[in-house]
Amino acid sequence: MTTLSSTDQPVLRKHSSASRFLRTLPWKTAGLLSLFSTAFLSPVCMAQGEPPRNIDVGSLPATVVDEIVIPVPTEVFGVLDKLGSPNWHEVLRSVKTENLGKRPQVALLLGATIAEGFIAVEAQEPEEVKKIGRQVLTLSKAIGVQKSVISRTSSIIEAADKKDWKTIRTELDGAAKDVKQAMIELNDDQLAQLVSLGGWLRGTEALTQVVTKNYTKDGAELLHQPAIVDYFERTLNGLNPRLKNSVLVKKIAKQLPELRKLIDPAGGITSQKVEKIHAITAELVEAISSQE
Amino acid sequence: MKTIVTFSLAFLLLLCSSHATVDDALSYALQAAHPYIKEGFTVREDYWGGDLPVKQQKAIVQQLFKGNEYWFWMGTDVANAKIAVHIYDAEGHLAEVEYWKNKPHMAAARVVPKVSGSYYLIVEIEKSPLERTHWALAYGFR
Repeated sequence: MTTLSSTDQPVLRKHSSASRFLRTLPWKTAGLLSLFSTAFLSPVCMAQGEPPRNIDVGSLPATVVDEIVIPVPTEVFGVLDKLGSPNWHEVLRSVKTENLGKRPQVALLLGATIAEGFIAVEAQEPEEVKKIGRQVLTLSKAIGVQKSVISRTSSIIEAADKKDWKTIRTELDGAAKDVKQAMIELNDDQLAQLVSLGGWLRGTEALTQVVTKNYTKDGAELLHQPAIVDYFERTLNGLNPRLKNSVLVKKIAKQLPELRKLIDPAGGITSQKVEKIHAITAELVEAISSQE
Repeated sequence: MKTIVTFSLAFLLLLCSSHATVDDALSYALQAAHPYIKEGFTVREDYWGGDLPVKQQKAIVQQLFKGNEYWFWMGTDVANAKIAVHIYDAEGHLAEVEYWKNKPHMAAARVVPKVSGSYYLIVEIEKSPLERTHWALAYGFR
């Protein structure tokens, strides 16, 4: 790997307050001021190579990447922790891995179990974390990708003994990535999407449980995730008939348009909407956890 | 039969070399991320990657949450390439509060979302001696 030259420092550009001020003005005024400043004023805020202040998202000057990186539950839970002190023990629940059903159910349950691991970390429950680590391995074995997560699950269990929460979070994220990668290598990339979906559903159920208990607008706004719901809708529509005809997948596909409506911020994501989202996601997670 | 084997081997080699360069690009993106880990940023294991010709952009739609702070780190394996990443909100307004580029192999942008929702990450190879340049984009939050 090439080392960095000490003389080759990065160019650090903070968007100046002037540039931020321009963005708040009507575009014609902003445009005139911007032209004026380019010609006569500070060259700093209009330095060459500055990105355009606005782009037309209706016709992007770029091809769009189809893949979305699904946020880890910690991204949302961390904000909830900043907004208050949720009782994560109340949110945490036991995961059952007996009487497993068909592959789509196992993939969805694997995602939900990994999400449960993040909740166990929030609750700081090392024994639950260890149990979840072992369950991740059992579920991965059921769909033939256990080799990809052996070292991750060992690290999760070791880190739980040391109460090293940061490492557990990293390893849970890594376990999700590794099982999905292993599925892709086995030409099961559609199954890999179900892992993400299961994790997102359980994470959203947990989020709505916390926000229902202590409603705040900022907490509810975390549910505004249109790109993710759209992505899962596209994914389920594009599944091969073998997966698409799964009773469980059909059940989830039927509810996604309803969830899409509820997360629309027009009119605000009210406490009633949060409760509805909670009811839908709780029902779906329950279905995932029961045999198909 | 020999031809098939030769073709298969050549294809496999091509595949491996293509993966290797995206992996190298990722290692530079993670190298860019390294100092920020000490500042409390959690770096995601997932990432985006590919190759692009000069001046052609790629847009990535990503969910960001108000209450978090994000850094996006871009890397390339091409030493004398110039790369850039910028972040726009759902209305197309520039949303980043800071960015840097012109460091060999790396570029980055930081955003503190004002609202939770979709954001556009625009990556670009501004200059490169190669026809197509491999890139990778990683992100972290706190």
